[in-house]
Amino acid sequence: MKSVWLLVGSSAAVYVTLALGMAVLPGIALSEVKPTPGLVQLTALQARGRDIYVGEGCSYCHTQYVRPLAQDKVWGRPSTAGDYAYSTPELFGTERNGPDLTNVGARQPSDVWNLIHLYEPRALTSGSIMPSYRYLFLEKDHAAPGDVVVPVPAGFAPSGKVVVATPEAEALVAYIESLKQPALGGAKP
Amino acid sequence: MIATAETTAESARDGKLFAAFALSATFWLLLTTGVGLLLSFKFPYPDLATSPYLSFGRLRAIHTNGTFYGWASVMLTGAALYVVARTSGVALRDRALAWASLWCYNIAAVVGTITLDLGINNGDQEYREWVWYASIFFVAAIILAGIATIRTVLARADREIYLSNWYFIGAYVFTTILGITAALPWYQHGLGQVAVQGFYMHNAVGMWFTFLALGLTYYILPKLLNRPIYSYALGVLGFWTNLIFYPVIGAHHFEFSPLPWWFQTLAIVFSVGMLVPVWAGSGNFFLTMRGRWEAVRRSPALPFVATGVAWYFLGSTQGTIEALRSAQAYWHFTNYTVGHSHATMYGFITFIAWGAAYALLPRATGKPASALATGMHFWLALIGVTIYVAVLSVAGTLQGIAWVNGDPFIKSVDAAQPFWVARAVSGAMMFAAHVLFAYNVYRMTIAKKRTEPLRQMQLTREVAPV
Repeated sequence: MKSVWLLVGSSAAVYVTLALGMAVLPGIALSEVKPTPGLVQLTALQARGRDIYVGEGCSYCHTQYVRPLAQDKVWGRPSTAGDYAYSTPELFGTERNGPDLTNVGARQPSDVWNLIHLYEPRALTSGSIMPSYRYLFLEKDHAAPGDVVVPVPAGFAPSGKVVVATPEAEALVAYIESLKQPALGGAKP
Repeated sequence: MIATAETTAESARDGKLFAAFALSATFWLLLTTGVGLLLSFKFPYPDLATSPYLSFGRLRAIHTNGTFYGWASVMLTGAALYVVARTSGVALRDRALAWASLWCYNIAAVVGTITLDLGINNGDQEYREWVWYASIFFVAAIILAGIATIRTVLARADREIYLSNWYFIGAYVFTTILGITAALPWYQHGLGQVAVQGFYMHNAVGMWFTFLALGLTYYILPKLLNRPIYSYALGVLGFWTNLIFYPVIGAHHFEFSPLPWWFQTLAIVFSVGMLVPVWAGSGNFFLTMRGRWEAVRRSPALPFVATGVAWYFLGSTQGTIEALRSAQAYWHFTNYTVGHSHATMYGFITFIAWGAAYALLPRATGKPASALATGMHFWLALIGVTIYVAVLSVAGTLQGIAWVNGDPFIKSVDAAQPFWVARAVSGAMMFAAHVLFAYNVYRMTIAKKRTEPLRQMQLTREVAPV
């Protein structure tokens, strides 16, 4: 080709067309999908927990989409478009070094379990490779009134200290427990 | 071109610019692959380095974005700016813009890396995790380098635009459009953002790194082998088919998701179509090297380029097979994908970037690399990445089988664990290779000039690239 501007113009026109067709237009259409009936918006505490989930990069190892495949039944029903109506930034994820969390709130609703698990995953699942999120907890000599004390099993707890959840840990657990798929057909879960 | 004192001085200034790009890129290579090495040890030792600033979720994005945008982008841009001037038969136009581009790249990488380490990001969406006030500098860097490139090509001596410059101009133009498409928020809510993410993540790889690396290969091979490229037409075919097929394949990252089924199917069909540009490009390069393997072997740079071309063929063909639904049912979400991304971004892109450094930096600065360090770099990196891809492919397959069998989840972790140990070992080999490369970059740039003659320069005559 002999003209730079012909090359730039023609190839850019092709690419802009494809960007519109493959990203912008699907983006517009799919941004307007109606929420699945029964889908609830996050509370302020859960939304704060979600921000921590995003900032700590949880979705590099935990997906939030269930495929219509037999092996995914363990994670819940297949995800539908409306499940993500309130989910920005999206947290689909691309790797399952850990379990899918789409419906984890229904599977594991215990505050105590989730707090211990964040503090030291291997206290509950031997062989787990999840990082320990000790930095979301305080290790104190004595619990103060109102402190959320985490009953970490012996052998994993710091000796002579109590483990207390920070507000960040509580928010993250609130978000994790909020992850429940609404039943299809409009009924509340 | 007759060398006058003025053109020699201009060439030296181009060389200095290229050297600065190479040094800067090498810094990011060492930092972010050091981070990658630490991450690989966190699989067998999850309680290693539990500080928030060294936690897996923060460092993973620092590794991926840093290797993409701090290392590969800067190394390839530096080499491409050097090549665009050589192939246009003039000194680089707007060299100040090129320097500004280098500054912008580094501001973006510094701001992006620090904010990620503080747990501040743009969402966990691969390769666009940097906050907007980091990404904006990255897009500015591309625009600045693009202007310098286009202005230099406009001032060219020949009437034809050399093939490499098609690919370079394409890379800057498409990636600028891509950056804007990914940044605007209005059509990125919930599932809409997933559609844009699929488009973005694969286009960042396919319209940026691939175009720059192919453009460099179209210059380096004919130049160092002293023979024309096998087929100019295949190169043009590769350009247009890459441009038309690549932007459609992004949704293959979200197969079996709630994205429209036809959208996913279209992505799979075009993933098969990608065989056209991949085989046209890699075939063109292999046919250019055919019968000249002795010259390839003797050159310090060409083994890197030949390896990069081989991984381009293998990794991209693997990508097509991976995109099929029957394969995704097993391999999606597994470590197989991580192996694939290293086959392509490391085996292909990074080896071409190294080939460009070893081929062009000594010409630009007049200083050769250490032959011993170059050889050790090559073998450590090649053996390292080959083991890396092999063990993660096995690990991913075992993970996929465990899930299909309906085993408890932890069984898939246990099955992959020995291969993660092997991955950490191969990662250490790759990092050792990077240290040797850094030494060579030092030798080719800021080290004092040695008196021995440049062996590789004697091997090949200077020829016109076209």
